[in-house]
Amino acid sequence: MDVAALWLTLRLALVTTAVLLAISVPLACWLAFGRSRLRTPVQAVCALPIVLPPTVLGFYLLVALGPQTSLGRAITHWLGHPLAFSFSGLVVGSVIYSLPFALQPLVAGLGAVDHSLLDAAATLGSGPVMRIVRVALPLSRSSLIAASVLAFAHTVGEFGVVLMIGGNLPGTTRTLSIALYDQVQDFNYAQANRTALVLLAVCFTALIALYSRRSRGELV
Amino acid sequence: MSDAQSNFGKPAPWLELSVDHRFGRERSSFHLAAEFSLHAERTLLFGPSGSGKSSLLRVIAGLLTPDAGRVVLRGDVVFSRTAKQRPQRNIPAHHRRIGFVAQNPALFPDRSVAENVAYSLGRTARAAASARVADLLALTGASSVARQMPRELSGGQKQRVAIARALAASPCALLLDEPFSALDAAARRELAANVDAWARQRGIPVLTVSHNLEDAFAGCEEVVVIREGRVVAQGEPRATLHAERDLLLDALR
Repeated sequence: MDVAALWLTLRLALVTTAVLLAISVPLACWLAFGRSRLRTPVQAVCALPIVLPPTVLGFYLLVALGPQTSLGRAITHWLGHPLAFSFSGLVVGSVIYSLPFALQPLVAGLGAVDHSLLDAAATLGSGPVMRIVRVALPLSRSSLIAASVLAFAHTVGEFGVVLMIGGNLPGTTRTLSIALYDQVQDFNYAQANRTALVLLAVCFTALIALYSRRSRGELV
Repeated sequence: MSDAQSNFGKPAPWLELSVDHRFGRERSSFHLAAEFSLHAERTLLFGPSGSGKSSLLRVIAGLLTPDAGRVVLRGDVVFSRTAKQRPQRNIPAHHRRIGFVAQNPALFPDRSVAENVAYSLGRTARAAASARVADLLALTGASSVARQMPRELSGGQKQRVAIARALAASPCALLLDEPFSALDAAARRELAANVDAWARQRGIPVLTVSHNLEDAFAGCEEVVVIREGRVVAQGEPRATLHAERDLLLDALR
């Protein structure tokens, strides 16, 4: 069992989930309650990782973050090392790759909040931000949980983006899914079996946690 | 009506309203074009369903931005817009301090009755806030359900709580849209009298939308009759409603 890979995978999934929540909550509020015409193209761009082959996304990221672009050079200068083939590079790739899985449940949940409740909060003195904080988000609690679980599980299971942007450096960018690939390449099926089982268990537990809440009727 | 005329021998109006708004496009559109001033402390807005009464209240509360119009509340211009332009002035709903009870009580489903009423009391000290909540629930006859959740309440109880919640925010005017529709005659009389006494004590004007004629003769000093988005009559309730009895018969049918 590759403990370093397991630890790296969990660390990556946790950091990615935290970053994703910080980004997707405000973004989902804008998509659900805003009136801008830019919402449709932005929503389409954010959904791209669902349909795009992960290798395509990984390739573009690798190029964009590499020394060929001024963005890549600026980041390298700022961090002291290139983003590609590092943990932070993996986080950037995972955040983009899993964004739709965090965003979609939030947009759906916030969009389903009864507008008469937001009107009531407005006449009771709550401005736009307080209406979201005090009314819309508490009522979308189950969507927040769904977004976190899906982002976490999806990051645990990613392969293509991680391989393209991170390579396969033990302890730094070698996640469980890549370790599994290596083990199969080496015909080490006993190891591969254990790795696969761990991945299956993590994702299954996450989904059990999600659906058991749903069946207890906590999805209001 | 010029200002000099309207102010002659009367206090200044607490509300001056002119609204021009088109819902939907082209043929199927509904055109709301109403204009009136209110001096009376108790006014009834009366008209058949679909005549634009609720939309007028939403404009006053700041929940609906009309294509053009002007809303002056107690001397302050809170909304002003010339057709096809951006509003020159549009105080947002949360700064207008208007108590608004919509047809749908819209209680926050994740908060208990007491928490709903306390919603606007965030900055009040806890003891003072809970005393205020208790007083208002007693006033509206909802003390017995203070700890319950909205889903456990009947339609009438929800309306009582919605009224208590609106009063808790210390509004400077009250807009009530069919506020007692789920209550029986005796209960609505008692609740109306309590809310009326509360508002009079504080000098808060009340504009009520109702289908119920009893409301017109119980406490209301003036009635505004609206039909198909236009004000068709305004004045003392008995005389005005008598003149509009065809409309009333329509409404009762």
